[in-house]
Amino acid sequence: MGRYASDPEWASIQPIPLNDGSETGTVPLATIAYSDEYLEATSYLRAVMAANELSERALQLTEHVISMNPAHYTVWIYRAKIIFALNKDRNGELEWLNGVSLKYLKNYQIWHHRQVIMSSRDHFPTLPPKEMDFLMEMFAQDSKNYHVWTYRHWLVRHFELWDSPREIADINSLLNSDVRNNSAWSHRYMLRFGPRNDQPDGGMVNADGPPTEKGRLAVVDEDLVDEELQFAQVKIASAPENRSPWSYARGVLRAAGRPLSEWTEFARKFVVDKRDDQGQLEDVEVKSSHAIEWLADVYAQDSTSDQSSARDEAVRMLNLLKDKYDPIRRNYWDYRIQQITSGELPAAA
Amino acid sequence: MSQALFTKERHIRYFLRCLKTFLPDLYTSNDSNRMLLAFFTVAGLDLLGVLESKTTREERQGYVEWIYHCQVPSGGFRGFTGTDFGVERRTQDNEAWDPANVPSTFFALVILLILGDDLSRVKRADCLRWLSKMQRTNGSFGEVLGPDDTVEGGGDLRFCCFAAGTRYLLRGRYSTGVEGIRDIDVDKLVTFIESCQAYEGGMAEGPYCEAHSGHTYCAISALTFLDRLSRDSDRVPLISPDSKQYESLVRWLVARQTTELGEEEDEEDFDEDGQVNGAAQDLTQSVEGLNLDGSIGKLPDLTPPSEESLRWAGFNGRCNKYADTCYSFWNGATLDLLGKISLVGAAGNRRYLLEKTQHLVGGFGKDAGEPPDLLHSYFAMVSLALQGEEGLDSVDPAICASYRTVQHLHTLPWWQDAR
Repeated sequence: MGRYASDPEWASIQPIPLNDGSETGTVPLATIAYSDEYLEATSYLRAVMAANELSERALQLTEHVISMNPAHYTVWIYRAKIIFALNKDRNGELEWLNGVSLKYLKNYQIWHHRQVIMSSRDHFPTLPPKEMDFLMEMFAQDSKNYHVWTYRHWLVRHFELWDSPREIADINSLLNSDVRNNSAWSHRYMLRFGPRNDQPDGGMVNADGPPTEKGRLAVVDEDLVDEELQFAQVKIASAPENRSPWSYARGVLRAAGRPLSEWTEFARKFVVDKRDDQGQLEDVEVKSSHAIEWLADVYAQDSTSDQSSARDEAVRMLNLLKDKYDPIRRNYWDYRIQQITSGELPAAA
Repeated sequence: MSQALFTKERHIRYFLRCLKTFLPDLYTSNDSNRMLLAFFTVAGLDLLGVLESKTTREERQGYVEWIYHCQVPSGGFRGFTGTDFGVERRTQDNEAWDPANVPSTFFALVILLILGDDLSRVKRADCLRWLSKMQRTNGSFGEVLGPDDTVEGGGDLRFCCFAAGTRYLLRGRYSTGVEGIRDIDVDKLVTFIESCQAYEGGMAEGPYCEAHSGHTYCAISALTFLDRLSRDSDRVPLISPDSKQYESLVRWLVARQTTELGEEEDEEDFDEDGQVNGAAQDLTQSVEGLNLDGSIGKLPDLTPPSEESLRWAGFNGRCNKYADTCYSFWNGATLDLLGKISLVGAAGNRRYLLEKTQHLVGGFGKDAGEPPDLLHSYFAMVSLALQGEEGLDSVDPAICASYRTVQHLHTLPWWQDAR
């Protein structure tokens, strides 16, 4: 006899066995060799759900089912409903979730449930002090865990933490241990340039503005922009093939409505032309392929204003990528060269 | 070096095993995704061109019956039979515990189409009515309808994609038979999707999150489904060649192709890299803003990649991550939707899949040396099919199944001009 069938506490419940349709002539697809334990627990789960039972024993049962199938999409909603109905201790729920989260690193429902619990302003008027510590514990396991970052993003918006010293301190610490952590770069961008409370929830800066203004800041804090560009430059100087800060800088300039050409001189430090006494080009010393790409974009933009020298430079840069430094994307660089030589298009900013 | 070979017979055996025998207990944590697993199994055999020859008519009819068994009375399909407590017990008060599920509804419909069903037993009107209830005020979609008709589940692009896909399959070009049913708010959905484009160019789970190939596919697939039914000749910028949004998206997608496969030798590289970083950070601290030029001047010249290193080139799902089989699909299929599959380094991707993640027993693993699983096996085959691999049928990148399936869809009444 199973765990529930032999438990007097569950004697009043008539379990509902799995109906996979085999009695009605179906041939079930994706059949799984379930354990007896899972089959029994889920048959009791169906029974308490059908009865809409919101009880302590049902809560325990959800925990048992979640331990075997954390991706079950209704068991989490059911669990939340029981927590609210019985007014269970929310901190206790978070503590329990911590353990489950560390066990199932890739699960998404767990983090959504955490958000559901944390959403209650009555129970959590401000950010619980240990919340960010736990997230850093998660990042110690996987510093790029997408679900954890999405949840942290939500916390920032929910508790208005854009300028919280802890946010930027954690980001700096994560970038110091891995400057290639693109998740941390993205979070930094949201802290610095994401929409704040006066913007629609989860919306986009200038979402209602004309298409060309979408994502562009309405009011630009030029000091902040300069600071972030400087930050990106320092990080690039330490690892020039790291794509993250180069993308970050593009994003910062775009949000501020400033041109890529601001960084021409900086990018040129990574792509140095060597000329002979007659000024003839002998060689190019390259320290970063992303700098070549940046220069190609700058020259391509100039070439649209009918400067053939800019166009030649853009094509020279793209050929460097295509033939030597980034041949894996040979087809793409060809496509870009074609766009420029046909004079059809401005390059993507 | 030996020629990379698609071991078709082994893959047929792998998919048949998944179809006709129990999946191991390990799949219990995926029980709620059974409809998705069913889709991979049936669509896999279809793509291999053997669904009809390796199953009997009775078996296929049995599969169709099982899918209809998963249809909930109020319209839409559940993701697995595990939530079904019996129609005789179902009331308004408990039906939220056995709800229709947005992604599963889409996959159930596609499986029916692959099996040649005419969808005549699908509660089309109820399903479309339910679908419009699944949309939030910000334009995004949820996963299931919870107690009191609350939209439950994350607000991410997966649900947007399968909602738009379900609408595409059931509304069709002419909406025949469902003319009066309230449609979803298409403009709001488009606005939500557009707001998910990250500064990097790719699409994220939500606005201002990190760009991710899975969400990027979902976004572009959703826009494609909407566009295919649209009477408006103007396309959304994200899927219009020449727009800044489109060009930065394409740039991001091609940047996902990588020779960093996360194999042992790579990890050693990565350690060395980490040390280089460490040393450079010390450098950073000593120059902090003052002498950037000096530190850049001291950087070594970039070594161009060798021919050998370019041999295997898979795709990652985010910037600075290792390659993974499924991202060959997420990125490649998105590029195909954008009309730019030709920008992929096809030979490197093919060799990555066939020489690194193709498994000896059939199927494909997540990365080199991993055991095969249904998701990675199917997505690897679709990625290869998009590149024209011999032995695989051609694929529609939006419904993510054979063109045959779309052709069958187009024979249904709501795709016929009755005027």
